[in-house]
Amino acid sequence: MAADGFRGWRLDVHVDFGARPLRLALETESAAVAIVGPSGAGKTTLLRVLAGVERRAKGSLVFDDEPWLDSSKGLAVPPWERGVGWVPQEASLFPHLSVAENLAYGGATEEAVGAKADLLEVAHLLERRPRRLSGGERQRVAVGRALLASPSLLLLDEPFSALDRPLRDKLAGKVRQWTTDVRVPLVLVSHDESDSGILADEHWHLADGVLERTK
Amino acid sequence: MNPGPPKLRRLLPLGIALAMAAVATVPGWSQLRPDVGGEGRDLAPILVLAASSLTDVLPRLAQSFEADGGPVVRYSFDATSRLAVQIEAGAPADVIVSADAVWMEWLADRGLLAGSPVDVASNELVVVVPAGRSALLRSPADLEGVGTLAVGGENVPAGRYARQALAAAGVWDDVREAVVTAGSARGVLEWVARGEVDAGIVYRTDALAEPAVVTAFTFPPGASPHVRYQAAVLNTSDRRDAGAGFLAYFSSPEAMATLRSAGFDPGGEGPLTGEQVDGGAPGATLPSVASAIRLSLLVAFLATLAGLVPAVALGWLLARYDFPGKTLVSTLVLAPLVMPPVVTGFLLLTLLGRQGPLGSLLGSLGLSVPFTLLGATIAALVVGLPLYVLAARGAFEAVDPLYEELSWTLGEPPRRTFFRVSLPLALPGIAAGAVLAFARALGEFGATVVLAGNVEGGTRTIALAVYTLLEAPSGRETTWILVGASVALSLLALVGFEALNRRQRRRVREDHGR
Repeated sequence: MAADGFRGWRLDVHVDFGARPLRLALETESAAVAIVGPSGAGKTTLLRVLAGVERRAKGSLVFDDEPWLDSSKGLAVPPWERGVGWVPQEASLFPHLSVAENLAYGGATEEAVGAKADLLEVAHLLERRPRRLSGGERQRVAVGRALLASPSLLLLDEPFSALDRPLRDKLAGKVRQWTTDVRVPLVLVSHDESDSGILADEHWHLADGVLERTK
Repeated sequence: MNPGPPKLRRLLPLGIALAMAAVATVPGWSQLRPDVGGEGRDLAPILVLAASSLTDVLPRLAQSFEADGGPVVRYSFDATSRLAVQIEAGAPADVIVSADAVWMEWLADRGLLAGSPVDVASNELVVVVPAGRSALLRSPADLEGVGTLAVGGENVPAGRYARQALAAAGVWDDVREAVVTAGSARGVLEWVARGEVDAGIVYRTDALAEPAVVTAFTFPPGASPHVRYQAAVLNTSDRRDAGAGFLAYFSSPEAMATLRSAGFDPGGEGPLTGEQVDGGAPGATLPSVASAIRLSLLVAFLATLAGLVPAVALGWLLARYDFPGKTLVSTLVLAPLVMPPVVTGFLLLTLLGRQGPLGSLLGSLGLSVPFTLLGATIAALVVGLPLYVLAARGAFEAVDPLYEELSWTLGEPPRRTFFRVSLPLALPGIAAGAVLAFARALGEFGATVVLAGNVEGGTRTIALAVYTLLEAPSGRETTWILVGASVALSLLALVGFEALNRRQRRRVREDHGR
């Protein structure tokens, strides 16, 4: 919100991929935007297109003043140059790496990993393998891994779907605190408005590939 | 993602039709059908086991025998030594025609012959060189200068005769280092014809039948073993009369003319007996157990090591990419899995032999493939690679692409992602493939014997040693040691494969339950 002193940012998507065109133009001063829509509305696809991992997407995509995709000019910034923190719905920690190694994957220093592990309350789990973590622990590590790579935009796909209420509130609070500290705008998608309300200031509704502001 | 299967389904009927057409046009297909109940004949066919050097002439004899009203003759050719061992093991044959009196005695001693052997023809040993190569070989003494001299195995008659002749001529110790061992007299001929060796010792009749070789000289009388072909009816035969009829046919004018035209001396003329021939032979060497096991492990290890990069690269390519010609690449890689290894060996020899396109290139670098450890390794590698690639491909396919995509968004481009995520996650599966390829390399025989020969201490691995021992009159104990080692190593490898495979399945999972 403007009250936080958060800079305004802009997302302009005009992409054709798969069966449905994705059209959205979003300009906001909110730190966290929720995009809500029914299953199959294209929410996950939208995040994959933003992250740059859908290489067959065609059209144009602009974040702030940076063009990430412009098929007419043959421009496609690859995911490793976009600086987008992406947390897919299945938290997807690298199974062969410990929690500490997962957190440091994007190049974070040991100190940064330690500090953020404290913040996310996973410091006691640093040596563990992902298969020995609970769902909530995995989710926190995944968010931490994405943020420790210093992204310019954070994408969360149904971040709370696997968690019960107290855990949701706790995670939402921590994520909010961190993104505000480092001033990273956040887009989360969810099928459930009550879910997204915990974290986002601004709610948009996605149906049939078209985005509308709801509150 | 993979366009292969649907395309394959469309092509399958075409492939089957082509295969059937090919089979139908193979000349002599009809000969393979047992011709029973032709008019005026009693008779089920008789089965004749015959020495390899009779491969060309015996079918002609059989044809005129049948035309004379005799029963249909079917035949199986191999080195006499292996035929004898097959007979001892109970092969249901009617007649044996051997190239070696010693093996006939061996059979008679075991009561496997019905009646005494009959001399049917004789032959002679000659030294041959590749046609067009101006080797100045005129006498056994000249053999000292040759780089490689091919002879048959020490227990196959052609190989035994050749060693006796070299010993009798007093040059065995000088040429010993140059000798490479082929599976049979025909194998020697093939190598000489291709120019893979400088010279070879074969039967006169074989030399006459192969236009690509030239006879350099015949061993002088004192050093020339007189090769006698003997035939006998077998005890296991229930068609002894028909068998005796075939034996008698050998002394008919037609048969003698046929034999003569092929370069044999028909009948029993020939002054020497088996015992005399045997005199002065260098001691038959039994394969060494330690050397065979050591070589097998070494060859399998080298092949596994050399296959690692190609297997990982091909597995990754086939698992993650679609490209034109993907089906072709995958088919070529997998072909050695279903092709007869002997065919694979033959193709490799054509490609990598001294005259081959790649072989001549390697030759200019000082690398020789045939009859070397390098050859044995290449044969094992090519035959084992399909299993290796299949395992690597499966391991990569089991890695969820989401992990790779995540790694990209965390700033790691594809090549670094491969080494940080894909490869480590697929590692147990690739290791399982390596173990399987190792096991396959341990068991490799067919391609190895063609490409690398059967050189004691050089390329004679466990499989080749067992094969060699099977044709030796002694050495059963050694055989069992090697058979035991082979079975143990194979089972051990499979246990390792299973364990690694389980580990791979666990590895790509993030949580317990899924």
